[in-house]
Amino acid sequence: MDRREFIKACSVVALMQVLWGCRRLPDLSGGKVPEIAEFEKEVRLALSRAKGAFDLVQVPMPGPLDVHGASPVNRFGMAIDLDACDGCGKCILACMQENNIPLSSKGERDAGRFMHWIEMHGGTPAMCFHCGNAPCEKVCPTGAASHTPDGLSTMMYKRCTGSRFCGANCPVGARKFNYVDSVKEGLARKFNPEVPLRSKGVMEKCSLCLQRLQDHKHAQMATRPGVEWRGSGLKTACSEACPKNAIIFGNWLDQESPLVQEAKHRNLYVPREIANLDPSVVYMRGRR
Amino acid sequence: MKYLMAGLLALLCGFFLADFLFRQQASEVKTPGNIPFDHALHGDSIGLDCSHCHTGVTYQAHAYLPSKTDCMDCHRLPLTENPGIEKLDSALSRAEEFPWVHKRVLPEHVVFHHGLHFAAGVQCSDCHGSTEKIQKNRYGGERFTMQSCLDCHSGKTFEGRGFKKAAIHCGACHR
Ligand code: SF4
Ligand code: SF4
Repeated sequence: MDRREFIKACSVVALMQVLWGCRRLPDLSGGKVPEIAEFEKEVRLALSRAKGAFDLVQVPMPGPLDVHGASPVNRFGMAIDLDACDGCGKCILACMQENNIPLSSKGERDAGRFMHWIEMHGGTPAMCFHCGNAPCEKVCPTGAASHTPDGLSTMMYKRCTGSRFCGANCPVGARKFNYVDSVKEGLARKFNPEVPLRSKGVMEKCSLCLQRLQDHKHAQMATRPGVEWRGSGLKTACSEACPKNAIIFGNWLDQESPLVQEAKHRNLYVPREIANLDPSVVYMRGRR
Repeated sequence: MKYLMAGLLALLCGFFLADFLFRQQASEVKTPGNIPFDHALHGDSIGLDCSHCHTGVTYQAHAYLPSKTDCMDCHRLPLTENPGIEKLDSALSRAEEFPWVHKRVLPEHVVFHHGLHFAAGVQCSDCHGSTEKIQKNRYGGERFTMQSCLDCHSGKTFEGRGFKKAAIHCGACHR
């Protein structure tokens, strides 16, 4: 083969590759969508493989966020009542259904790795603690992990390029990475049409049910535009589902909020690893 | 050898060509008798407010399309001798076979609440254009970009209209 022929062959191959890349791919998923029972089964499996308990330290009640542009009237968070929770795991399933969390593949499941945004640590449910001074957000190269002025550590899935720096920097391992295309693998089910499914290569975690907050806020701003929105009456999916009322959602800056009403009589704790990161989600125990 | 290569090449090219030409296309939308709807005529000439037909627009997230029977609320009134009424009636009798086809332009990770913008004083035409433009541009959705949202939210687009600056953090509009 002489030089000319070689170059010709190379260009033909290149052209072919371009065409191949441009073609429309058929959908290979076969449209398989897992049954609800499979999600229940996975939650039971996760409960049987709970992680080690956190070392809890006492903290004061969260106050206004200490960041530029923070809202002076809203800081959302939750308190998990350790005296009430019996570790039933209903919150895990409710969260999966609210946020369209996919199942894990068999291999991952066997290794004890799940996509669940709530996991049991020594019989205690734990989700993202929405640290006011979040270490995960600081290392995100694209700004996909960012904070809202009202205290939510949010994930913008479309901005996420999958560096996984955030996951490596989270002290409690609250972040979950989509290693596979869960729709194609038949692992995802769209329970909630309001929440987009995440694609392969994207990080996810508890969003504090961001969609519920957005919808609640928008509805109020449309119908009662003069009234300041404090998120009153709102509940996250996990707090709504808990039969023991052990997860209390609310606004730390609203004295009327059920969260403040309850937490002010209790001792508040967080895992030692994040105690100085100003978390918005706390545990409560005992009475004062 | 040369012929073999050429043959293989032709075959491959044929495959690609076939793939491009005969792959499954999006199916055509069928409508009965092609009844034109003129936004300019209904809006500017008759003076109907957009929310008369798009009833969600003042307080809900979605503006919604009207029920087709709603058209007849006005059209069956003895306003004119228009022979078009018969055409509308016959189309209406088959309406169930031809449901509204509404293609969502807003991606699912973006939230937009019509009612809240309405409450803030934004007019439909501020984003969708005049009724003539709506006619031409197929409701204007294609022209929206995140930049156009951001320009308005940061107070650039309608300087002088007295809008309050709106949120521009990611979590305000994305999920
Ligand atoms: S649903 Fe309530 S009681 Fe059950 S594990 Fe979750 S927090 Fe505990
Ligand atoms: S607040 Fe919402 S996203 Fe977070 S753990 Fe509870 S249900 Fe899941």
